[in-house]
Amino acid sequence: MFGKRRLDDFSEELRSHLAIEADRLREEGLDENEARRQARINLGNLMLQEEQFYESSRWAWLEQLRQDVRYSLRQILQAPAFAITAVLTLALGIGAPTAIFSLIHVVLLKSLPVPRPSELYMIGEAKHTGVYSGIETEWDIFSYDLYKYLRDHTSGFESLAAFQADPRRVGVRRIGDPRAAQSFGAEYVSGNYFQTFQVPAFAGRTIGEEDDRAGAPLVAMISYRAWQEHYALDPSVVGASFGLNGTAVTIIGVAPPGFFGDAVRANPPDFWLPLASEPDVNHARWVQNAQLHWLYVMGRVKSGSAIRSIEGQMQVELRQWLTQGPGVSGLLDVSLIPRQTLHLRPGGSGMGLARATYSDGLKLLLAISGFVLMIVCANMANLMLVRGIARRRQTSISLALGAARGRILRQALTESVMLGLIGGIAGIGIAFSGTRALVSSVFVGNSLPVDTTPDLTVLAFAIGVSIVTGLMFGVGPAWSATRADPIDALRGAGRSTQHSSFAQRGLVVTQAALSLVLLTAAGQLILSLRNEANQKFGFVSEGRIAVRIDPNLAGYKVDQLDALYRRIQDTLRRLPGVLNVSYALFSPMSGSNWTTDVSFEGRPPGLDGENTTSWARVGPAYFDTIGTAIVRGRPVLESDIDSTRHVAVVNEAFAQRFFPGEDPIGKHFGARPKFEKSLEIVGIAANAKYREPDQPTFPMFFLPRPQVTHYDNPGTMAFESRSLYVNDIVLHVAGANLSMEEPIRRAFAGIDPNLPIFWIQSLETAKTKQLSQQSLIARLTSLFGLTALLLASIGLYGVTTYAVAQRSKEIGIRVVLGADRNSVVGMVLRNAYVLVATGLGFGIPLAIVMGRLIRSRLFGVDWYNPTILGGAAAVLGICALLATIVPARRAASLEPLDTLRGD
Amino acid sequence: MSTRVALLQGTLDVLILRTLLLGAQHGQGIARAIQQQSENVLLVEHGALYPALQRLEAKGWIRAKWGLSSNNRKARFYTLTQKGRKQLSQESSQWWTLAEAIGRILGPNNRNPEEV
Repeated sequence: MFGKRRLDDFSEELRSHLAIEADRLREEGLDENEARRQARINLGNLMLQEEQFYESSRWAWLEQLRQDVRYSLRQILQAPAFAITAVLTLALGIGAPTAIFSLIHVVLLKSLPVPRPSELYMIGEAKHTGVYSGIETEWDIFSYDLYKYLRDHTSGFESLAAFQADPRRVGVRRIGDPRAAQSFGAEYVSGNYFQTFQVPAFAGRTIGEEDDRAGAPLVAMISYRAWQEHYALDPSVVGASFGLNGTAVTIIGVAPPGFFGDAVRANPPDFWLPLASEPDVNHARWVQNAQLHWLYVMGRVKSGSAIRSIEGQMQVELRQWLTQGPGVSGLLDVSLIPRQTLHLRPGGSGMGLARATYSDGLKLLLAISGFVLMIVCANMANLMLVRGIARRRQTSISLALGAARGRILRQALTESVMLGLIGGIAGIGIAFSGTRALVSSVFVGNSLPVDTTPDLTVLAFAIGVSIVTGLMFGVGPAWSATRADPIDALRGAGRSTQHSSFAQRGLVVTQAALSLVLLTAAGQLILSLRNEANQKFGFVSEGRIAVRIDPNLAGYKVDQLDALYRRIQDTLRRLPGVLNVSYALFSPMSGSNWTTDVSFEGRPPGLDGENTTSWARVGPAYFDTIGTAIVRGRPVLESDIDSTRHVAVVNEAFAQRFFPGEDPIGKHFGARPKFEKSLEIVGIAANAKYREPDQPTFPMFFLPRPQVTHYDNPGTMAFESRSLYVNDIVLHVAGANLSMEEPIRRAFAGIDPNLPIFWIQSLETAKTKQLSQQSLIARLTSLFGLTALLLASIGLYGVTTYAVAQRSKEIGIRVVLGADRNSVVGMVLRNAYVLVATGLGFGIPLAIVMGRLIRSRLFGVDWYNPTILGGAAAVLGICALLATIVPARRAASLEPLDTLRGD
Repeated sequence: MSTRVALLQGTLDVLILRTLLLGAQHGQGIARAIQQQSENVLLVEHGALYPALQRLEAKGWIRAKWGLSSNNRKARFYTLTQKGRKQLSQESSQWWTLAEAIGRILGPNNRNPEEV
């Protein structure tokens, strides 16, 4: 560094000055030695001048930092045991939050991999999904007609794109490929989708406006991932003809690697199709129904646009469309129109579907890992304190020799920050491997949409945490180290009989308290998980398999369905090991759900959204197959066909919600006002959970598959027709589930080879998937809790050992004076247990508060739970006991003469 | 007998520059020149000299180079730069303006005649 060079220069100049002065004095008559001595006196304090010069230099602080760093490293390397303990502890404490942050970064924070994401704005917050019909009040999902209206009338957007809110799977087979069709995710997008995101094609070309016209040739784009994993990067894929749901489309291009669409979701789409091709591939003609809302809208605004004014303009357009356009659900109450609104939100991070599901859990994990980090800091502070005290002699001497206290403080802090950084780097290694495992657990069973290697943000986070950690645990001990009185150096430090400092004791108390909090939380979460997994689901999952098909996509007409389902039932029933076969629109725990509003005979229609229930169509013997009991009345039978009386079976929740205290059997209801007499209730089924395991059972009704009600409302009618194509075939098998997959596939191939199977899954697996997030959190909290316990025990062990060492003389004296050795040991231990007890004292109210904070994640467990609290305290007590056994025994076996002799 | 006068801050800089006007000189030489020229009134502390030299060098008013002294000792010689020359004339005129103004206020020289 320049500073160094110039210092040498300057020193030489001073020496030459000295020599010249000596020469002059010699000329004046002094002899050699006298001249030199006089010259020295005349010149004054050379060293002081050098120092002043040095310090006036701008780079002095950097030079000092380098010195501090080298010194710290030397110190650290000289104490390998301490170093290894410290680094491991820190690695764990820093690695955990880094891993969680990495996950949060991937799921919540990362921008879409597109140019200038800050220019992207989306409408609404994606609260609605799937296909929706009705008024939304806060609009975030749109029909094709409404989207076009907004697109054509809003001037503030450079381009406004629309895309399917809930991409489904399609059966894909390359024309000429002998292999069976495979299912992939596919998303319908507007012609300007890729242009809006400014994403070029990796090969071929992107979908453009010219492809999104009725009558245009059918095209699609494939994702890089699918191209790589399933077609081995074969260049001939571009331009090839593929059958999607049996319809031939031409693949025109490959999306760039890393582009996964507009949202962070498990299983991102592998194929993109223009909206105009939806009727041909999806067969549902959603684009033609102005009242079916199934598109999210996102656009790139013109630079310099005022977002609020664009938003206001779009709100007016929305209301205009509702008034003048095809309207919503036909019989819209016009007084509701002024309340309809929409809001623009920044869309740079995508639609954020994973966010809503995971963000609370992730925040909890981050908080918990923060706890662990605090415990680690407390441990480290303890370690540093002990070291500081051991080096007190050295520090005192330095101070006596004139070292500035500030400099010593700085050096101590540098050492702790260095430790923090080394631990942090090790922690990054842990985080790297841990993140991958974490993400796979969160997106269980699905493919990961994003890269999980830590990128710069995560690394910066880790380093930032390391430095802050180093400062946090270093400040206290450094401060107390600089308070060393130089006189101690002369006296011979180490002779003091002081107890461990207040800071040390405080740290043990803190660790004990935090461990208690974590253990209690872990206990509550584990118990919740067990309750959730073992609850009565209302259906039997052992021996039950669900097979998802979609005859609609395979081109079946409504009148072919009766025969199809009968064939499926008969064929599958004849397979060995199959006890029963039935079907339902969706099976429990499959992640699907259909809802509708209902109106009851003899009652005024409810407001929109007031009487919402789930519903499904089921086949004969369904309730038997799925293991749900019929509480009263009868289930759906084979004799329930379209020409007989239209019936419904409701679940207990439905009965309790809409017919409290009465008998629902014989009563009538319907899905729309004026249709209240269309369905007659003939049976009550026991409650079964179809959706989230931790939510109470939703009211639900079941209809026989063939019975169709002809509603006047096109939106409702679209759902009614689509629901005839029930998706999930449910089998009740004897013995092991998984060995049935091959026979089932062969059976279906025999029924219709063009009917693709989307998945075959046992209900056990489905349940596990639904519980996965809860399970992950419970497991991680336990892991952290045990780590905290381990660290607290180590801390307690260290403190007690140290206390014994400090007081070894005192113990020796007491024993020599006749005290009972055990009572002396007991005295030492008592102090230790007082600390633990104090820790418990602080920890118990904290644990109660923690319980209250996590109560939304608890299932069947009280947030105030004295049993678990007591258990955690007991575990802490036992660990404290174990931690202090060794120091206690060592204290008990001390030879008094040794202690008195040693200094 | 010489009367020691406390040097006003900043004047050491202009004295150094003035000394160097006559030619290159090393640190020791500059201090001695100032002492002699001021007839021992101004004795430059070495603790003040070297920081002043660094300052002037940092500002680009003087330049330094290693060379040999009259006794064949290696020494660092300082020379005035063009900028330094300009600075010297500026500061000298400022100083004279100041000195005259103060002199006018204080009146004619009332110092007691020196005992010879």
